[in-house]
Amino acid sequence: MTLLAIEGLTIGAHVGGRRVAAVRDLSLDLEAGRILGVVGESGAGKSMIGRAIAGALPPSFSIDAGRILLDGEDLARAAPPRMRALRGQAIGFVPQEPMAALNPVMSVGAQLSEHLGRLGIPRRDRARQAAAMLAAVHLPDPQTLLRRYAHELSGGMCQRVLIAMAFAGRPRLVVADEPTTALDVTIQARIAGLIAEMQRRDGTAMLFITHDLRLAARICDEVLVLYAGQVVERGPGTMLLRRPAHPYTRSLQLAAPAMAGPPRALQALPDRMPGLIALADMRGCRFSARCPVGSADCAQDEPQAAARGTVACLHPERTAAIAPTAAAPRPAPAPGPPVLVLDGLARRYGQVDAVLGASFAIGAGEFVGLVGESGSGKSTIARLVMGLVPPSAGRIVLGGRDVTAGRRADRRHRADWAQMVFQDPQSALNPRRRVATIATQAMEAAGRPRAERQLRAATLLQEVGLAAEIGARLPAQLSGGQRQRVNIARALCTVPRLLIADEIVSGLDVSIQAQLLDLLARLRQERGVALLLISHDLSVVRHLCERVLVMHRGVIVEEGRTEAVFAQPSHPYTRRLLAAVPPDNPTLPWQPFAEPAERPEAA
Amino acid sequence: MNGRIAAGGTILLALLVCAGFAPWLSPHDPNEQNLLSILLPPAWAQGGDPSFLLGTDSLGRDVLSRLIWGARVAVVVAFAAAFGAALLGAVLAHLAGYFGGAVDWIIGRAVEVWMSFPPVVLSLILMVGLGSGLSSVVLAIILVDWTRFCRVLRADVLVVTRRDYVAAARLVGFSHTRTLLREVLPATLPLLLTLLSLEMGIAVIVETILSFVGLGVGAGLPAWGQMIADARANVAEAPFGLLAPMAAIFLAVTGFNLLGDGLRRALDAREAIA
Repeated sequence: MTLLAIEGLTIGAHVGGRRVAAVRDLSLDLEAGRILGVVGESGAGKSMIGRAIAGALPPSFSIDAGRILLDGEDLARAAPPRMRALRGQAIGFVPQEPMAALNPVMSVGAQLSEHLGRLGIPRRDRARQAAAMLAAVHLPDPQTLLRRYAHELSGGMCQRVLIAMAFAGRPRLVVADEPTTALDVTIQARIAGLIAEMQRRDGTAMLFITHDLRLAARICDEVLVLYAGQVVERGPGTMLLRRPAHPYTRSLQLAAPAMAGPPRALQALPDRMPGLIALADMRGCRFSARCPVGSADCAQDEPQAAARGTVACLHPERTAAIAPTAAAPRPAPAPGPPVLVLDGLARRYGQVDAVLGASFAIGAGEFVGLVGESGSGKSTIARLVMGLVPPSAGRIVLGGRDVTAGRRADRRHRADWAQMVFQDPQSALNPRRRVATIATQAMEAAGRPRAERQLRAATLLQEVGLAAEIGARLPAQLSGGQRQRVNIARALCTVPRLLIADEIVSGLDVSIQAQLLDLLARLRQERGVALLLISHDLSVVRHLCERVLVMHRGVIVEEGRTEAVFAQPSHPYTRRLLAAVPPDNPTLPWQPFAEPAERPEAA
Repeated sequence: MNGRIAAGGTILLALLVCAGFAPWLSPHDPNEQNLLSILLPPAWAQGGDPSFLLGTDSLGRDVLSRLIWGARVAVVVAFAAAFGAALLGAVLAHLAGYFGGAVDWIIGRAVEVWMSFPPVVLSLILMVGLGSGLSSVVLAIILVDWTRFCRVLRADVLVVTRRDYVAAARLVGFSHTRTLLREVLPATLPLLLTLLSLEMGIAVIVETILSFVGLGVGAGLPAWGQMIADARANVAEAPFGLLAPMAAIFLAVTGFNLLGDGLRRALDAREAIA
């Protein structure tokens, strides 16, 4: 029987003096005990659905039309006291940022018993029940854990606590909004498995919101694909992966690098999803402007919204024509001395070895991937090479010169040879400076005149695929992908021989990610620049890098040609990393739980 | 523009006009004594004299003129002391927050030791040592209040310094000085400006306190604190002599605080968009 039914839901906001829709005429239904996946890129409106069910839309957004029926009761019109009663009791929520969702000044036990109190559990039973809840989510030593605080736990452990809370009241429905996005790959797989296990245990219905089509296909009984606030396709997860019916679903698949099969080019979607205001003026199919197989009529006539078994597309038969293309062969690394040589590099923080005995070399024009979980020391290596932290031991040779000491002359040499692209463009771009100024910062340091810098800025921006006018903007006026391009442009200003890129595509949508990966590949082709790509995403490394280094707890545990390492990992940690990625082929088994249980990680 | 900045700015502007044009605005010499008409009530009250709009004090000096001239002392002290304290505190805060380590430790301990003296006692001791006078008052306020800037700003500098764009600036070859001036300072400036306007209000109060206890700018200069001290003896017969300078102080401090609060809100909003 149907537990949750959403009918014609439209969520709108007032933007620029008019009403725009973030979610438009959306319908879905979910049966008791089933998992429905909601997949889409950022801005597709997927989180809005979860927040509408919670009765917690962001300020200025409200439900304009439609009903949200939970067992026949309309949540869209429920009074606030009724919603308060339903939350936690009938509907559980698993949030995206587990660390931020726990109160930092309350112990885990205090928060759990507060929650149990809301559920009407008598005080004397709460401690016992809280411990039982923690045991159910496979947290070791629940009694000790009850006295701990959020900052003493890792992200994975926090998320387990929150999952325990979401399921505590045996709710009829659980809404999980990107529950694994903020976590490490290996933890991600386990948390996803745990959520599925809890759901089976209680027979709860679940709405699983994620940007990861592969993950959704694994976990969910059925998946909705959302684009610009509308459902474009709906079907069983394995079907969506094997035979996507909507051009958008197919494009998403081809924009993401694969973990298996021959190397293929990424088919990046042009541009990005239109914003709320652009959507309000749009006629016809909302995907038509970016669609690889769209035609003139697509921009005129709007397709029917997708229901089970149907596709929101005027020409669904064309989807099959979107085929993968083979990758261009990688240019052979230029012969000659290596750009970077690390010899026994180490860095100690107090009692902890962040990096221990790292030795490797990067040849001219070579792309090397550095993978590992957060806290494994990847970023520390980047900071050591760039001289942002001094090493405790070892040597760094950059462009034939020993720059370990970090003297003034070393710094100049380093700036010419290597540049870094930072992870978070939000933090890496000074919000008060114009894009052109940021991109040519290196020339400011060298005291070049303004006119020369303006000229150089235009060239640099063009090189990273941005229009020259963007130079006059502030970082806040750019999209995430554009900011990351500016970030790369700044690093290119001194024409370095080596780029160090720290997680530069994490947090970006696959279509934007594909554009940036293509940009890096092009820079190698045109410039022969070498790259040290730090990433937790193995498929990105597989796509871009011929060699890979695997790092675990400060030590490089495995090194080799990417294909060889991924095909036959020799170190158990590498095997664990690889097992955590859901295989592309939906029929292959994926059992991240078959791995040894999660150790209590240090915070 | 928001209302707080407008209101605070208007009050501040009025204060500046009084201070700048005191010789032309004031109807009498502020130190001219009219011993025949002492302790007059304001002109509109019974027994008031139209030529002494706000009445006279116990020596027959015109209260309005003294108020206007007092604004001059208030403004000079407010600006000089606040800018001085801001400069000293901000420089040390940026050094401590940016370089960290031993520099941070030394500056941090200095601030703590400094702050462990009660501020009023410290300024009184300083005044005794420096002797009264306008420059002594300014110096005393700077030496007491620089810690306020140093403490608050250091935390902000620390946050900004950890931003990747500061590291990126170093990587493209910016020197420490250039990084501090071009990347860090613009980000901490909103907070600095806010603290500055609040400190101006505080400086006005401190000057009043010092003048009140007779360790202020000296007897020759009309100051609001001095006026309160003088009027205290005759508060029963001529309460207005006490109320007028108090109102002036209240208004000035409110102006500075409104401006500071408004600046904080306005600059915060810009932060939120960025």
